[in-house]
Amino acid sequence: MDGIHSPAVRDVPASLADNSLEKGRHVSNLSLIVIGLFAGALLVWFVAIFNSLVALRARVQNAWSDIDVQLKRRHDLIPNLVSAVQGYMAHERSTLEAVTEARTKAVASSGGTVADRTQAESALTGALSNLFAVAEQYPQLRAVESVELLQEQLTSTENRIAFARQFYNDEVMKFNTAQATFPRNLFAGMFGFSQATMFAAQEPERQAVKVSI
Amino acid sequence: MATQASSGVFAGPRDRESFFDAQRRNRHATWRLSAVTVIATIVMGIPLALAVTPLLYAVGLIVSEVVNIWIPLPASFWRQSNELAHYGLTAIQWMTGGIMPSPHALALGVAVLLLPGAILSVGLWLGVNSLFRRAGVGGALLALKAREPNPSELKELQLADVVEEMAIAAGLHSPKIMLMDSPRANAAAIGTSPNDARLVVTRGLIEKLNRDELEGALAHLIASIGNGDLRIAFRVVSVFETYGLLLALINSPFGPNARRTLWRILRFGLLGRRQGEASAAEAAAVGDLLTRGAGLETDDIDNFFDTTARKKSMLRSIRNFLFFPIFLTNFAIKLSLWFFSFSMLEPSMALLWRKRKYLADASAVQLTRNPDGLAEALRKLNSEPRAIPQGSWAPHLFLVNPAGSDRMNDPKANAAHQQMLASTWASSELASGSAPSTKLRNGAGPSSVMGEIFATSQAALGGDQHAAARMAAFRRAAATALGRPVDELPAVADLAASQHGDQAAMLRLSQFAKKMNSNETDGSDSKQRASDSSANFAGFFPSLKRRLKRLDRMGAHIELESGRPQSATVIFIALLTLFLAPFALLALGLLLLLIGILMLASLTFMAIWMAFIHQLFVMFLHH
Repeated sequence: MDGIHSPAVRDVPASLADNSLEKGRHVSNLSLIVIGLFAGALLVWFVAIFNSLVALRARVQNAWSDIDVQLKRRHDLIPNLVSAVQGYMAHERSTLEAVTEARTKAVASSGGTVADRTQAESALTGALSNLFAVAEQYPQLRAVESVELLQEQLTSTENRIAFARQFYNDEVMKFNTAQATFPRNLFAGMFGFSQATMFAAQEPERQAVKVSI
Repeated sequence: MATQASSGVFAGPRDRESFFDAQRRNRHATWRLSAVTVIATIVMGIPLALAVTPLLYAVGLIVSEVVNIWIPLPASFWRQSNELAHYGLTAIQWMTGGIMPSPHALALGVAVLLLPGAILSVGLWLGVNSLFRRAGVGGALLALKAREPNPSELKELQLADVVEEMAIAAGLHSPKIMLMDSPRANAAAIGTSPNDARLVVTRGLIEKLNRDELEGALAHLIASIGNGDLRIAFRVVSVFETYGLLLALINSPFGPNARRTLWRILRFGLLGRRQGEASAAEAAAVGDLLTRGAGLETDDIDNFFDTTARKKSMLRSIRNFLFFPIFLTNFAIKLSLWFFSFSMLEPSMALLWRKRKYLADASAVQLTRNPDGLAEALRKLNSEPRAIPQGSWAPHLFLVNPAGSDRMNDPKANAAHQQMLASTWASSELASGSAPSTKLRNGAGPSSVMGEIFATSQAALGGDQHAAARMAAFRRAAATALGRPVDELPAVADLAASQHGDQAAMLRLSQFAKKMNSNETDGSDSKQRASDSSANFAGFFPSLKRRLKRLDRMGAHIELESGRPQSATVIFIALLTLFLAPFALLALGLLLLLIGILMLASLTFMAIWMAFIHQLFVMFLHH
């Protein structure tokens, strides 16, 4: 009983200071504090979950825009390549034209739907690998230093696109796993998060010729 | 090798591991080891605080005594200090097993003994952290002669491209590249954070690796940056720097070396904390000075107390007697630093760092999805000369150990090396002006040319002047071709000196000849391997074999040497360990006991010394 006589309770007017009431007030004070702390902890926990999901989503979006950057780089490089090899590959006009045409289409599809873009970009990848395959038959072309450098740049660009997609897929996997695992799966839908889609290679791209340098 | 691999290792189901699993395993291991390292640091800090505290009290006492001469301090001050000292003495008595004081008095006594030293250590550590944070790790490498890769050269363009690709794969900013024109093959990641990291790459690396291997090697470094290894490396170094600073502070009254170190730190702290490479290099130089100090290389205090060198005088003896407790404390600190760092801190940090290397390997596989690239790169680099002169500043930041031996232990690389030596022998022939040998004219293989080189060197060692001149010319040519001195050949300077009859040079040459002969007979290969494994025991680099084994588990198609030791050897080593373990434990226990006794002695001496000083001042005041 001694514990009840806490300073806070002693200030209560005498008329109300009946034993049972005192006890009830004290308990309600204590439980209020406990509930308050619990609610605070819960809120912090919610905020942490929400923020981690937001951060993961931002990374996914960032990874997606990185792919765009690399695709743009490829579009910019192709005119240089075509003009550099044109003189040596006069007989391969159709191959070069296919590359130029595929590039034009890919640039045009930049604002279009994801499906359209994916198709146009894989067509460009196909045309480019075709060009590299044909260029193998021109040894004098490989001896030209600037062409060699350009080829390395294009190889690198192809790699960059591939790595940007790989990074995007890794981030999507992290984001989706985070959403699907306990306890985040209880709140992900409530907070308005949805599963992101992975980047899947198109059929023609899967059998792309390996570029050799 | 190939037959061994196909018969031994590939048989049966293989224990595969995905790179995600490998990353998770290594990350957990680093958490555990970080905890162990933190505990080791604290355990190491306790005797240190115990030894430093009395010094602080002594300084405090002398300062207040001096102040007391002019401005008398209130009596309550002296009473309170006396009370504190009593608590400290109680704790000392408890440690020696004399009495059992009340818990309250004991806690206060331990606090009196530990807190000032602990606060000073933590304060110094925070200071070191803030001082060197901007410079980060590996600042010394910034002072190297390095340049940016040249985009109009294919190999260097490739380097820049691969770095960019790997940064994209890791989702990081592309680090700056510092290309070093060195024929050795190695690379390192330096800096403070993923945002300002730099890659140091040698020209030798990009020449020796193809695109896939380069990708694997750089992926390891970039993954390591992405995993936050730079910060961990910084923490590891900062602990040693703090110990060095503490030692410098304690040594500063006794010698110029410690004072010079302190002055340089002070100057750096006040003036040098600007951005820029010069500042980073200065930070690295200062940091190196400190870690060397922690390596017990400052011997100021030994010089100070060394009475053998100079003639003894009355004044010197009195001075030495007066400062003896401080000498004892210093010795106790050094001994406990050495003991705990050798037995606990360094092993746990080395193990921690090895796990970070495995983690970076696994992350590199995630980035490239090609374990073969990294595995082949590691294998190649381990058979190439990879030593970087400045690598000793921050060896743990490199891809493969930069302090590694220059010797070849790969037979294939050895053959290439011999071929190179043979062609150099042929080209230096004309330079030395001797007649072309019959063997070279007949187009003999490198092994017979090696025989001729060996015979000539033997003749030179025997005193043949002509052969010596021939060897000197060859040695010079080989050194320029290799980019390093050739350690299988006698030194030019010695050869020249022996021609003039220098006895010391003759002796060195004959020792060299003995070494050459023993190498010829017993095969230095096994010896080399033994020294490699002993270097790996407490090293910061996992052995090549273990790294390859883990990469193999992640799917690399590498032919592992099935170098499983014979069961007899294993049993022998186990028995030896069992036999030696009690002795090792006994030695450890004795050392601990010695440290304990030293600590207590230093505490007791300091207490007596302080009482003595106080009496001196009291006498002085009354007269």
